[in-house]
Amino acid sequence: MNKILLVNIEKPDQKNIAKYRERGGYTALEKALAMQPADIINEVKTSGLRGRGGAGFPTGMKWGFVPTNAGKPTYLLCNADESEPGTFKDRILMERDPHLLIEGMAIACFALNCQLSYIYLRGEYEFIAHIMQRALDEAYEAGILGPSIMGKDFALDLHLHLGQGAYICGEETSLIESLEGYRGYPRIKPPFPATHGFLASPTVVNNVETLCALPWIITNGAAAHAAIGTEKSKGTKLFSVSGHVNSPGVYEVDMGYPLLDFINNEAGGIPNGRALKAVIPGGSSVPVLTAAECDGVLLDYESLLKAGSMLGSGGMIVLDDSTKMPEVLSVIADFYAHESCGQCTPCREGTGWAAKILRNLVAGKGKRADIDLLLKIADMMEGKTICPLADADVMPIRSFVTKFRSEFEALCAS
Amino acid sequence: MPKFTLNGVELEAKEGQTIIQAAMAAGFEIPHYCYHPDLPIDGNCRMCLVEVEKMPKLPPSCTTVVTEGMVVRSNTDRVRQSVQGVLEFLLINHPVDCPVCDQAGECRLQDYYMVYGLHTSEIPLEMKVRKRKVIDLGPMVVLDQERCVLCSRCIRFFDNVTHTGEMQFFGRGDHVAIGTFEDRPLDNPYSGNVVDICPVGALTSRDFRFKCRVWFLHSTDSVCGGCSTGCNMRIDHRDGTIFRLLPRRNVEVNRSWLCDEGRLTHHEVAAGDRILRPMMRGRDGMQAPVTWKEAVASVNSRLKEIAGINGGDAIIGFASPSATNEALFLFKRYLGEQVGATQFEFRIDSEDKKVTEEEDEILRHVDKHPNSMGAINLGLMSQELGGIDRAIESARAGRIKAGVVIYYKPLVERPGDAQAEARIAELIGALEYSVVLAAHKADWQREASVLLPVTAWSEESGTYTNYQGRVQLASKAVEPGGDILALWEVFASLLYESGDGLLWLSPDDVFASLAENTPAFRGIVLEQTRLPGALPTP
Repeated sequence: MNKILLVNIEKPDQKNIAKYRERGGYTALEKALAMQPADIINEVKTSGLRGRGGAGFPTGMKWGFVPTNAGKPTYLLCNADESEPGTFKDRILMERDPHLLIEGMAIACFALNCQLSYIYLRGEYEFIAHIMQRALDEAYEAGILGPSIMGKDFALDLHLHLGQGAYICGEETSLIESLEGYRGYPRIKPPFPATHGFLASPTVVNNVETLCALPWIITNGAAAHAAIGTEKSKGTKLFSVSGHVNSPGVYEVDMGYPLLDFINNEAGGIPNGRALKAVIPGGSSVPVLTAAECDGVLLDYESLLKAGSMLGSGGMIVLDDSTKMPEVLSVIADFYAHESCGQCTPCREGTGWAAKILRNLVAGKGKRADIDLLLKIADMMEGKTICPLADADVMPIRSFVTKFRSEFEALCAS
Repeated sequence: MPKFTLNGVELEAKEGQTIIQAAMAAGFEIPHYCYHPDLPIDGNCRMCLVEVEKMPKLPPSCTTVVTEGMVVRSNTDRVRQSVQGVLEFLLINHPVDCPVCDQAGECRLQDYYMVYGLHTSEIPLEMKVRKRKVIDLGPMVVLDQERCVLCSRCIRFFDNVTHTGEMQFFGRGDHVAIGTFEDRPLDNPYSGNVVDICPVGALTSRDFRFKCRVWFLHSTDSVCGGCSTGCNMRIDHRDGTIFRLLPRRNVEVNRSWLCDEGRLTHHEVAAGDRILRPMMRGRDGMQAPVTWKEAVASVNSRLKEIAGINGGDAIIGFASPSATNEALFLFKRYLGEQVGATQFEFRIDSEDKKVTEEEDEILRHVDKHPNSMGAINLGLMSQELGGIDRAIESARAGRIKAGVVIYYKPLVERPGDAQAEARIAELIGALEYSVVLAAHKADWQREASVLLPVTAWSEESGTYTNYQGRVQLASKAVEPGGDILALWEVFASLLYESGDGLLWLSPDDVFASLAENTPAFRGIVLEQTRLPGALPTP
């Protein structure tokens, strides 16, 4: 198994810049600064690195959309608003290896000719803000950030911005709105952030995990990265496992690793001799897979899509046979009702309505007709909103209700 | 100019136009809440989703720009289901309190429900989200958060038109509500507009609410009499009473807006006592009622007598810039051609200079008369007199002996109004013989030799020329009471009495003569003075 991201994660002094450099830190940046920016972008393209925030869009291609002659500055924004239920992979990177993120961002900024960059950190991660800020201060002191990075004639300012605790600000356009000081509402696309993003300028928004993979790619070369994983899903992926497993936590595996092996070997298997019932493989917004559907599924973008779910953020929730599925869905639906920004009608009203119906069902006050109503609400919401938050509610509702319908029916009186 | 088809009909769009804009321009209705032609596009209500070939999802027609060859459908089952879904969502948490809602009858929720909805509510009452009702937002607006569809039109109005930003969304998810910070009042001179643009009963007019159900009202197209901007408005009235004034969209003048002062001018017209019959001062020095016939005959003969003895220079015609072009045209024709008067003036307070001076950057102008430009164009401004002060001086010195004075108090109040009225009173006091034409009673009118009751704003049809020189028609909305005559009619009667060869039976007749005889109106046909108004050909 290859380690790209979690190499030094267990070392308690990794947060210290001196120790980070001792272990080879910032050499990738040094190497990158000697390269042509276009070559770095090409390197990332060849590496096959795809966005680790959830959508899996090729990172190099995303960078390629940024116009170089816009007459406006380019901005790189690091999306550290990790708030999808079940996802806690970025947290461990920033908490234990903050300089890795700074190095990755500096490489990306140099490649994109971006001189002002922000880390948009989830509001609830305030404790990480202190760690991250100390690392930034160290990097400035060491001349890695500032008017001349590592002695190169290239200025880079990197700021930390703490959000106020809104899931929606993890959507890239509402992250931009929030960073600009407005209410966190997703923007209508087009125009896309690549041309009209932060301050109406070309903007790239990348996830923490994506940026943290850059130093390794620069050091070891694109080919080495492309050699890991499957044909279309390259490199390694962090999975944050929670739920009914013996060893919940964050694990780095090669793309294409078998799902069931992962649960049994990496995550330590299911406790108390219980059987697997279902897996939510990529954060609460992706369709749930039944135990039978997990058979032969590999942990990569294509295989999970084929199985009817998605890789998403890699926030895996494992559910054993003692789980009451309507209760799980009710908790998930409550989350999306609470986090809907309220901009578009279908999502604003639909998420709340579905959550209430599910609360009623779980409390034993539901009717059989409510089950079909849930599916109808899902149809009414799907694909009709500015951002995918409504769809993120639709996918669990539809998959839970159709795959575990008998459990919902059992809750209804008649 | 991209061509596209909408429901199989080939249409042409302007470059950069979105589907809804091109569709509306061609007369197609696409249901919507948040789209407004004079506000930035927001795309939040999701009512206007349509089917576009080669697009997998239903794109919103308000944000999707028309491209060449686009095939758009708004009448398919898929679109209808989507609209019905959005409507159902909007109604689940709505209180459905139409019987006590002032918006009933002109509510987009009601209208679209009848077309697209007609579903049974599937949400039990106790599941609905409760929000606050009857929130006082200042002198013009009352807010009901439960009825709101959160289209953000009001927010965008304050952000982008007045740039005052008083309103915002609060909360998240289905608990989002609009409001002002700590319920502070909307304290800006355009706040009433948000009531008009609110598609539902969330923002209702403090002035109009509960006065009359809207389906009892009749509407008449008019032009605001409040200042020289000449905003296009609609008078809503019933049984001779005006209930409210609403803007009519005119992109060249006021877009979709009115200022709050203009919006409330009908109260000024209705306030105070009206003069109901012609009055003439008898030998005892007291005014007594006479018939119009007596009054017209007496005025005509007295004016001609004075002109005969003292010459035309001794007679002044003092006009009002609040009168219509038609009335002012006949006024000048009668006094100039029949009586031979040479002195004309209308300025009490340098209206000619203020007419184009902006009070703010949105709509209002400093000159609080609707027709100063018309008075100037009709030649009612005298270089020699240069305003009322010199006229009073001349009258005191005995150079001017008689005068015909039209006086309307401005419908929008300003601190100088009382002073201006006092100057008129001074002029009347200094004249040997004075004919006053006015709508509302005032103490100083007792000094007049003849007092003639005439129509106020909204009671006669006629045109006003705004600060741009745009001639705009205001139609008669309500009947005046008593023996009140339209201003133009009084001068038409005097002209008839005096033997002018022409006969005018309606303001339309007068406009035709006016356009024929006055350079500033030449070539304008009355029909052109409706939207967007007529500018004289240079």
